[in-house]
Amino acid sequence: MKLKLPLLPLTAVGSFPKPLALVEARRRKVEREKLRKLEREATERWIRIQEEVGLDVLVDGEFYRGDMVAYFAEELAGFRMGGLVRSYGNRYYRKPIIVGEVRYQGPITVEWWEFAQSLTQKPVKGVITGPYTMMDWSFNEYYPSREQACLALARELRKEVRNLYRAGARIIQIDEPALSARPEELPIANRALKILTEGVNAYFICHVCYGAFEFIYPQMLRLPVQNFDLEMSNSDLDLVELFRRHPFTKDISFGVIDVHSHVVEKVEQVKSRIQKALEVLNPRQVWIDPDCGLKTRTEEEAVAKLRVMVEATRQVRDTLA
Amino acid sequence: MKLLTANTGSYPKIGSSPGTQKHREAYARWERGEITREEFERIQDEVVKEVIEEQVRAGLDMVTDGQVRWMDPISRFTEGLKGCELDGLLRYFDTNFYFRQPVVREKPVIIQPVSKAEYLLAKRLSPVRVKQVITGPYTLARHSINKAHVDFHTFVRWFTEVVAQEVHALSRLGRCFIQIDEPAILRHPEDAKIFQDAIQEVCSEKHRSKLYLYTYFGDASTLLPLLENLPVDGVGFDFIYGSKLLSLIQERGFGKEAVGLGLVDGRNTRMERPSEIFYVLRRVLPKLEAEVVYLNPSCGLEFLPREVAFEKLRNMVEICKEARVKFL
Repeated sequence: MKLKLPLLPLTAVGSFPKPLALVEARRRKVEREKLRKLEREATERWIRIQEEVGLDVLVDGEFYRGDMVAYFAEELAGFRMGGLVRSYGNRYYRKPIIVGEVRYQGPITVEWWEFAQSLTQKPVKGVITGPYTMMDWSFNEYYPSREQACLALARELRKEVRNLYRAGARIIQIDEPALSARPEELPIANRALKILTEGVNAYFICHVCYGAFEFIYPQMLRLPVQNFDLEMSNSDLDLVELFRRHPFTKDISFGVIDVHSHVVEKVEQVKSRIQKALEVLNPRQVWIDPDCGLKTRTEEEAVAKLRVMVEATRQVRDTLA
Repeated sequence: MKLLTANTGSYPKIGSSPGTQKHREAYARWERGEITREEFERIQDEVVKEVIEEQVRAGLDMVTDGQVRWMDPISRFTEGLKGCELDGLLRYFDTNFYFRQPVVREKPVIIQPVSKAEYLLAKRLSPVRVKQVITGPYTLARHSINKAHVDFHTFVRWFTEVVAQEVHALSRLGRCFIQIDEPAILRHPEDAKIFQDAIQEVCSEKHRSKLYLYTYFGDASTLLPLLENLPVDGVGFDFIYGSKLLSLIQERGFGKEAVGLGLVDGRNTRMERPSEIFYVLRRVLPKLEAEVVYLNPSCGLEFLPREVAFEKLRNMVEICKEARVKFL
């Protein structure tokens, strides 16, 4: 799948900060229609922001999702919501449990993708949580092995991928933050992604973050996707050294914005990150985006960070033209 | 041979129902400055009391304080150490749990041992045996960032001193049960020598205490000779990962006074069936020379919701009762 995009395409990873009214409404568990209206308003608002800021490939902002795994677990048959488990510090989440055969019950994100795409001429990415992460971040009481759980999830999520493609999505991102959790299981993730992507003529991106890449690189380059979306800035661009030793053979969405810091980067700082990337990568391989979803930031911070990213990228583009 | 049930380490600090979230609420209020450190400490004491009561209610022969005061396995010691600060989040092994990495710029100096107070409180609250669980020096060093520009062996030795002081403070109280957790060695068998030195050093402070070394999150089968020769009183294994562990112990046996069998999956909600546990016990028990065999979860229980953790322990106790009749 060939895309027509400018050099160093600008994009976002997936989520944006939820407006306060939406956060409140979710907490108060207001009725579905009211919530939906707020989610649609937020989606529309952020499509405008992304256009105005100057991104080339947009996302729907994921305003209708709470947790990236729980959201899909709730929509698939075979899952039950579990109790609270601590993720770090004083943070807890409800970890889903696979209690039966996982089954696709119909489109999950397709309507949201269609809605977002109807608001803009720019391409909008379809974004789903991948089968390996769905498996790794859930308890499993049904399948005899992690591999079987993962492949079953892949077969069902493939239907969502096909539906996104049928609806018109040509860029589809699979979020796999757990990819590096068990390096020895990379072949399982590979088989799962093959099931997910085979025969679908879309441009596939795999988003991975906060992992120990040194243990799965360069083997991970064999995964059947065209683009890896990697968090680079939170880890001080350590991966660039890895790419120096083993050339990066696919396209990359290179994270140049630290989403876990309140501090808005300086244009020069982001420019130097991009230039560092270009020391080991061909400009035609490189997309530019933040490390991860921006939902952890305030709207002001998120917009300011995106503006800096766009400005820095434009300046680098000028030097390349 | 005695077959006893024990907890392996942590116990969930909160439950899923609104009435069981005391710890989370207090932590948030303390962070916001709405309650004092003393008030937060008092509430943590109450939570320790609750989690000990739950373990006792489940029927365990040996409980822990639930490691209620440990926000993760790594930073509990380092928060009290001069020369350490905390960095960004990192995944803890292959779990869905994250911890803050300590950054070490100079030789850490212990200000006050933390285990002693934890142990004394648990001992006061528990009608059954208490085991104090401490992360070992090798695992602490592996998960810290060395900004002191010393070689890794020296770095491990620094943490060894810290842990040895904790063990010393505990052992001065009399005969305690102390568990040292060293999951990291399973991923770095090449560091056997460094590891051995560290554990020997820690053991030199145990006096009359019983010191157990637990490994988990990996297959310990390649390290059996090393673990057997350490001067510890017991060794604990994670059988959930260890596909080769069972056959190897069957083949060569394992000679330690105490052995912990992690047959209950501390990371999955599925309840164990008696037959699965019996399958292993039938093969392993005849090959052990142990005076005490502990049936315990494969790792700490904080990876599970509290309600499931309790159910797991209760189920384990029931299975153990049957196993005593069957195998002893």
